[in-house]
Order: sequence, then C-alpha cells, then structure tokens
Amino acid sequence: MTEIKMFDQKNWIKENLDYKKESGSWAWIYHRISGIALIGYLFLHIYSVSPLSQGKTAFDSKMASFSSPLFMFLEWLLFAFVLFHSLNGVRIVLVDWADGAKYHKQLYVYSVIIGIILFLAMGYVMFSHEITKMFASL
Amino acid sequence: MFKYNKSRTTGSTSWIIQRITGIVLVVVMIGHYILMHYMPENGHTYDAVLARMQSNWYRVLDLTFIVLGMYHGLNGVWGIFRDYKMKPWQSITVFSVILILGIAFTLWGIKTILDIPYINSTSTTFLVK
Repeated sequence: MTEIKMFDQKNWIKENLDYKKESGSWAWIYHRISGIALIGYLFLHIYSVSPLSQGKTAFDSKMASFSSPLFMFLEWLLFAFVLFHSLNGVRIVLVDWADGAKYHKQLYVYSVIIGIILFLAMGYVMFSHEITKMFASL
Repeated sequence: MFKYNKSRTTGSTSWIIQRITGIVLVVVMIGHYILMHYMPENGHTYDAVLARMQSNWYRVLDLTFIVLGMYHGLNGVWGIFRDYKMKPWQSITVFSVILILGIAFTLWGIKTILDIPYINSTSTTFLVK
C-alpha cells in the first residue's frame, strides 16, 4: 500500500520549492506574481493620474516626471506583466471553457512566444523615437 | 443535476465573474495600450485628456475600466489569501483591508474622472458628439 504524502504546513516554502514543476505550475506562479504586480500598479496609476482634477499645470508636471527614460523602461517591464497575465488568462479561459486541458502545454508555449514578440514590438513602438534619433547620429 | 450543490455557495459565482471581467479587461486593455503608447501624444498631456473626456463614452469606458480592474484585481488578491489557512480574525482583517482599499481607490479614480470639466457648459448632456 502506498503511503499518502501529507502536505507539511510548517515547511510549506520548502515543500513548494521541492514540488516538481512543469509548465502549468510555472504558469500558476507567474500568474500570481504578475497579478499582484498589476493590482499594485493600478493603485499607483489611480494615484498618479489624480492631479487631473487640479488642472493643467499640476497634471502636466506630474506627467513630465513620468516620461524619463527610467520610467519608460519600467513601463515597458510592466507591459511584460500585463502580457503574461493577459495571455495566460486567455489560456486559462480556453482550458476551462474550450477543452483546452487537452492542449494546455502547447497553449503555454504559444502564449510565451506571442508574448515575447509583442513585448519586443511594444519596445520598438515605445522607443522608436529614441531609436531613430540614435541611428540618425551615426 | 448539481451533484455538489454546495459548490454554488463556495465561490463559483465569483469564479465566473472573475473569468468574464478578465476577458473584458483584456479587450479594453488592448484599446488602452494603443491609445496610450501607439499615439503617446494622445495619452500624456492634459489637453488631450480634456479633449477626449468631452465625450461621455470615454468617461463611461474609463469608469468601467476602473471598477472592473479593481474588482478583478482585489478579488484575485482575496483568492490568493483564501488558499492559505487563516484564523477567523485574520480573514476578517484581510477582507476588510482589501474592501476598504478597494472602495477608497475606486472612488478616488471615479472622482478624478468626474472632476474633469466640460469645456462648454451647455454640453453636459449625455452623448456630446
């Protein structure tokens, strides 16, 4: 008779780390991390857009502080979280409602590939102005 | 038909709402990104926002976005907490903090949108254009 392994409540971090993870487990973990990041960003976003009610000068100076290269880079990284959460969310819906459980691993691979392509494309769209300027000076 | 009848009261409705809001958010998010980054000058200046907000459709869209995003996000956070064993006082505290933060920031966002003035005082009727 095989012994049923019980989950060890006290060592849950070690238990989670030791668990053999395939694409589905990683998708679950990344979905949580990106979800927490996105709700954190939503709070920040409501705060950062709130100077709209104080008029033009307040809002435009706030926006100017967010258009530095560092913030644009962070916005680009944020898009990676958005992409993973959206594409994996679509994958979850397909698994739940469209018989996707039969091909969920392929769906994971496809969503990662589509995500990387869209991430690079967004990088070009966001920084196209800087890129053109860089090549013009060569 | 419902073999596990109790599952109707253990969060299955909130699970379906989470799916539906998620799908809606993906669609709105695509529009949001095109508007804000493909045409960055439309997204990041006060004049552009003011011009866009003259249409009540944009206001309704943004209000929907805030409410659905907040609901989806905080319901997700609550779902994560529910994965762990909590004592009653812990789960009451966590739920209260989530609820208060959610309501406060949602109202703040709604206020921000509704505070944006209409340029013509006569155009406060629904559907400007």
